Amino acid sequence: MKSSLFHDIRLVFRKEMKSALRFRAAWAAMLMFALTTLACVSLAVQGGGLSPRLLAALYWTVLFFAFMAGIDRVFEAEDSAGTLLALRVYAPADAVLFGKLLYTWLLLLVLAVPLTLAFLLLMDVTVVTPLVLFLLVLLGCWGMAAAGTLVAALGLGASVRGSLAPILLMPLMLPVFLPAIFVTSGAFGAEAASLSFLFGMGLYDAVLTVGASVLFPHLWYAD
Amino acid sequence: MEEIVFQDVSQSFQGRTIFAHRSDVVKGGCITAVCGANGSGKSTFLRLCAHLLLPTEGSVSVSLGGEELSREILLRRLSLVTPELRLYPRLTARENLDFFLGLRGITLREADYEALLARVGLRPEALRDTWAASFSTGMCQRLKLACLLASEADFWLLDEPGANLDAEGAAMVLREARQAANAGRLVLLATNDPREEAAADEVISIP
Repeated sequence: MKSSLFHDIRLVFRKEMKSALRFRAAWAAMLMFALTTLACVSLAVQGGGLSPRLLAALYWTVLFFAFMAGIDRVFEAEDSAGTLLALRVYAPADAVLFGKLLYTWLLLLVLAVPLTLAFLLLMDVTVVTPLVLFLLVLLGCWGMAAAGTLVAALGLGASVRGSLAPILLMPLMLPVFLPAIFVTSGAFGAEAASLSFLFGMGLYDAVLTVGASVLFPHLWYAD
Repeated sequence: MEEIVFQDVSQSFQGRTIFAHRSDVVKGGCITAVCGANGSGKSTFLRLCAHLLLPTEGSVSVSLGGEELSREILLRRLSLVTPELRLYPRLTARENLDFFLGLRGITLREADYEALLARVGLRPEALRDTWAASFSTGMCQRLKLACLLASEADFWLLDEPGANLDAEGAAMVLREARQAANAGRLVLLATNDPREEAAADEVISIP
């Protein structure tokens, strides 16, 4: 009766997917928030050509705020359903962290696809290096998912959970955002930024993931 | 042999002392009841046993075969049934069991699943394709007990296990608890029910 970590992560991930597919409020809220922001921005700048750097900053800002609209649900949904205790008793901390992290990453990627297409269409942007943009979205979303899952776990039991997330997330996300904006502006036609930024993002994502896996068990069991 | 030892344990929350300087031993192979008035700390006692809470003072050690268990190993060997432990409302009974038991490396075949539900007095056909959100509290309690029975746990921590159950359900709990204790498992009940207290071999009273 022994199960592997991979097996446990898969179970937590599948449980998250099933629950999310049966209650689409989180997905819908994130998507609607992002589309509304995008529509406002595109109407506001109608006709005015924006620089690739500004477009890149707008793109990541829209993604970030869409993410913020749903990230607190990672653990809040468990808390409000009263299932945290059952999860603590039955699931190893690492399985919870990585199962939820993978689910959040997938959620962000699924959101990023229509958002990116809508952004390119509404803002009339041409992508000169689609592969770079693809890699950026993969790495950027992983960074957001890792930081977001950790911050959501930090908020467990905090009475000011709603205001805690944006305060803690911003400094954690800056090392993801700044290189992402530099490289995205290159992908949008500005002078190409060094791809070492991509490597740096990957490295930061790895550090964030390892840091989360070290910290999470202490948060999970409320030491 | 399973054993839980409290050594000079005190527990307080936000300055309110729940209990102080308790030294107790809970052994496997028998049913132990933790009794006391509301707010005396029975549920806290169980959480300390499960290492889901660290004592404010003193120590709680859990051992199996003379070897002290870390929290990670203990959690894989215990099962908890409490009013606070809830099932996933948007999963069916089968999906809930598959999830929790899967995390223990246990896979239920259809025949095992049906036999398990029958053992706790639930009808599989009544639960098929129905989310746990629509179950009554008694059905949820029975499903939690099904999870406990199938989990093959060495440590059974039961907080008011007969709550929300009818007379037949309450009798089933005591029957299963007795069988588990006879099989050498550690069964700890936090209860205010005189029948559950009477069924216990040992009683720990918290004033």
